[in-house]
Amino acid sequence: MPASEAFRPLVLLALLGLATMVLSVSVGSAGLSLADTLAALTGSGSELNRTLVLELRLPRTLAAFATGGLLAVAGALMQVLLRNPLADPYVLGLSGGAAVGALLSMLAGLAGVIVTASAFGGALLSTLMVFGLAHGTGSWTPSRLLLTGVVVAAGWGAVITLMLAIAPTRDLPGMLYWLMGDVAYAGTPWPAFVLLLLACLLVLPAGRSLNVLARGPLQAAALGVNVRPMEWGIYIGASLLTATAVTTAGSIGFVGLVVPHMLRLLLGNDQRVILPACALGGGALLVLADTLARVVIAPEQLPVGVITALLGVPTFLYLLYRSR
Amino acid sequence: MSKNGLTTMVFLLFLLSPASVVAQPGCVHDALGREVCLDKPAGRIVSLSPGATELIFSAGAGDALVGASAWSDYPPEARELPRVGNSDRVDLEAILALEPDLVVGWTDGNSRAQLDRLPELGVPVFWLAPRTFEDIAAAVKTLGLLTGHPELAERQARDFLAGIEALQSRHGASEPVRVFYQVWDQPLMTVNGEELISKAIQVCGGTNVFTDLPRLVPRLSVETLLAANPEVIVTAGRGEADQSWLERWRDYPTLAAVASDNLFLVSPDLLQRATFRMLDGTRELCDLLEQARARL
Repeated sequence: MPASEAFRPLVLLALLGLATMVLSVSVGSAGLSLADTLAALTGSGSELNRTLVLELRLPRTLAAFATGGLLAVAGALMQVLLRNPLADPYVLGLSGGAAVGALLSMLAGLAGVIVTASAFGGALLSTLMVFGLAHGTGSWTPSRLLLTGVVVAAGWGAVITLMLAIAPTRDLPGMLYWLMGDVAYAGTPWPAFVLLLLACLLVLPAGRSLNVLARGPLQAAALGVNVRPMEWGIYIGASLLTATAVTTAGSIGFVGLVVPHMLRLLLGNDQRVILPACALGGGALLVLADTLARVVIAPEQLPVGVITALLGVPTFLYLLYRSR
Repeated sequence: MSKNGLTTMVFLLFLLSPASVVAQPGCVHDALGREVCLDKPAGRIVSLSPGATELIFSAGAGDALVGASAWSDYPPEARELPRVGNSDRVDLEAILALEPDLVVGWTDGNSRAQLDRLPELGVPVFWLAPRTFEDIAAAVKTLGLLTGHPELAERQARDFLAGIEALQSRHGASEPVRVFYQVWDQPLMTVNGEELISKAIQVCGGTNVFTDLPRLVPRLSVETLLAANPEVIVTAGRGEADQSWLERWRDYPTLAAVASDNLFLVSPDLLQRATFRMLDGTRELCDLLEQARARL
């Protein structure tokens, strides 16, 4: 396949992403006209409209795109690493670690940046724990990593339930809100966005090795890939992407599991195409889902995870049914 | 009238109602200990819980409300207010579009993480968390200060506390009865001594059998309840006239409350919202406990 043809889907996905972002910035419960929105974007218009567009909708849209992209790329990497189609960014317990971090700081009466920081800390702690435990004393295998991660995740799940059961009433609304996931926690979308760009730039040159690794470690080793460092690199990289996504928007399910599969069904399994496609497709899906979540039954707001699943499940099942 | 006399009168009026003349609410502290400062009385308020809506009306500032969260249904005027979403997940865009100069939140219903965006965008948030009758009165007084009706709010708050004190002096020293307040059926939930309902029970001369549990709204097993053996069971049930939550206890005829037929239904909104209507709810509860004493 000539390079230009392989990258045509990426251009299409980029256009799709852009279209969802335009939609997301121009619709909302305040009902601004397209002209109002454009005026606000260019810095004119009333102060209220500028606040609505520039300080609520735009950061939220960018955060949704970056988070969706990060989750989908992380999911694709985990699926390559674990050679397991059920792997998603949270399969190794990372979102549980982040949630425990965030909830602990809320129980301590803290708010804002500190909650975000402790969610990130919890995610990294969980990553290191799984890393250390999976390494153990013997040899390391992806299935051992998977098993360690799944058990650690179950442990976090129990800790979260326990914390909710004993939390004082006044902290509960905030904790439940965090656990449901929402694209508007972090004040700024930029850390997530910059990391997404960096990840795409770093992953592209490794695409060929990832393709070989996806076929199995023995083939990869035979073909001259330095398997062990590569696998740890993927693990740490994917964890960092997920940790950033979780601290931006809480644990939003489904994007990281299904977007990589959908794109593989559509585009084939070439990591050089799939990974950037995941960044664009995951971003577009989450932006669209978040837009729907905030306007379908406005002013009531739906948790965004509900919409990602409602949009993703039928699309994915259709693609799977059609494939042979 | 001489010019001097007029000046004196104006001065006296000024002394009598200082805050209505000096329209400077200044700074107050909210339930989270945060300072909320306004340079003029709030005239466009968004309330984010049904209880907060009621307290704002009680403070005489109902006219200043421009929006409220779902379920804000009392007083009836509140039903007409534009909605800004459910308490646990509000629509920030809808709030900002109403251009409020004050947003009133409630710690037991709203998410801090979400509302903390508002001060960043220039909208002050005043948090409420009333846990005592004095807290309710103080909340109304502060809301009166923030909205420029301090005397009215002060008077309302005084009347409310006086009403509670009257109930306390009439029933507080009566023969103590042991009361179980059933918040929910499955899972079985009650309140501990910190909760306002428990304080209402105390005012009426009752004792909450689960006062000492550590959580505000503890979950219980039926076994724990049978061991506590309350003399009275009170619940608001699922709404008016739904006796099913009480009927289930008749399976345990040895329970003191069942043996004496002390199973009572109260109006949910009167006891379960921390507002001035607690006074009516507490009065209703006191009457029920008097009935219960007669049956024991």
